[in-house]
Amino acid sequence: MSNRNSPFFVGYLPLPAGLRQWLLVVCVLFIGGLAGVGLTMGVAQDDPGPGAFRFDYGRQTVTGVIELTPYPLVRVTEGNDRIMPGTTLMLSGQGKSSVDQRAVPLEGQLSQVSGVVLQRGTLNMLQLRGGANGLSAVEGVAPEQSTEPLGRWRLAGEICDGKCLAGAMRPGTGLAHKACANLCLIGGVPPVFVSSQPVDGSEFLLITGPDGSALPKSLYDHVGAYITIEGDVERRGDVLVFRADPESVGVPG
Amino acid sequence: MNAAEVILMAVRVWGYIGAGVAVLFLTFGIDRIDEDARGAYVFRPLLIPGILVIWPLVLWRWYVYETGREVWSERYDPPRKSHFAVGLILPIGIILIIATGLMIRQTWPADFQPVQLSAPSGETQ
Repeated sequence: MSNRNSPFFVGYLPLPAGLRQWLLVVCVLFIGGLAGVGLTMGVAQDDPGPGAFRFDYGRQTVTGVIELTPYPLVRVTEGNDRIMPGTTLMLSGQGKSSVDQRAVPLEGQLSQVSGVVLQRGTLNMLQLRGGANGLSAVEGVAPEQSTEPLGRWRLAGEICDGKCLAGAMRPGTGLAHKACANLCLIGGVPPVFVSSQPVDGSEFLLITGPDGSALPKSLYDHVGAYITIEGDVERRGDVLVFRADPESVGVPG
Repeated sequence: MNAAEVILMAVRVWGYIGAGVAVLFLTFGIDRIDEDARGAYVFRPLLIPGILVIWPLVLWRWYVYETGREVWSERYDPPRKSHFAVGLILPIGIILIIATGLMIRQTWPADFQPVQLSAPSGETQ
């Protein structure tokens, strides 16, 4: 047995006098250290942004023309106090699901859409209610909708899924969100490119494949990373569509 | 096979081996090395998830008991001896990992101006 007089801590006995100073120092360092690490990690995080589900708006129901980019959009023709005519809404289903099966048969038709709005700056998305309650054809002739080509661009930024970015998740961007974003994209949620600076007034662009196809799977590896990429941009209402070339991916200099 | 598929395959193989070890250990092994387990069966399925994860340790401990090399007091020596080193390495390692992650993460290209490569007509600028 070593020195019998050295102080020995036993949880259910009073603290030995010789250990009080040591315990005090350890407690202060431990608590202070944890607080410091927590503060450092907190301030090092990026601002998740202002995106959110707008449950405060209540359920929104508007009428518009369904377009496929191939991701479904609705070009609003009859809006309400919250969603003005001329607004373009991206559409998603519940959770990480698309509404393609419901939207494809209605392409180019006048339809009524209903659901909850997700909003982040100029980015608007509508999470539809289930079945025909969320999306159904209505009587009437669909007005012609214009598409304005804006040329070919090289942009820097990040590929995200449009739903989490718009406010379903906080943060809805960055590497920490990559796996979630890829699951959303696999589920058919419209992908969005966040540009480093606005293009024709918007920093959010719906991103698709180069020939108007769905986002190529080769770009899934770049989701959440900061990249440069080239492609053709076109304006559909207040949404920009970016037909990106996956071969042009680079690293911002 | 991409990285994700390799990881998934490795986890599956680990689990399959663990399942084999669980079958052998819970039907034969446990009776041979633990007399208190003899005749007791209901608790055995509860051990399956753990064996799937730490089957190498189960095999090692089984081997030690079977060969009579078990000295119960020595079993606790390695953890005791490594307490101090692990207590230092763990927090330092966590801090290093976090610091490295923060240092190598990309910076948002805020200064990058979008470049129009060609006008809508196809005219290159």
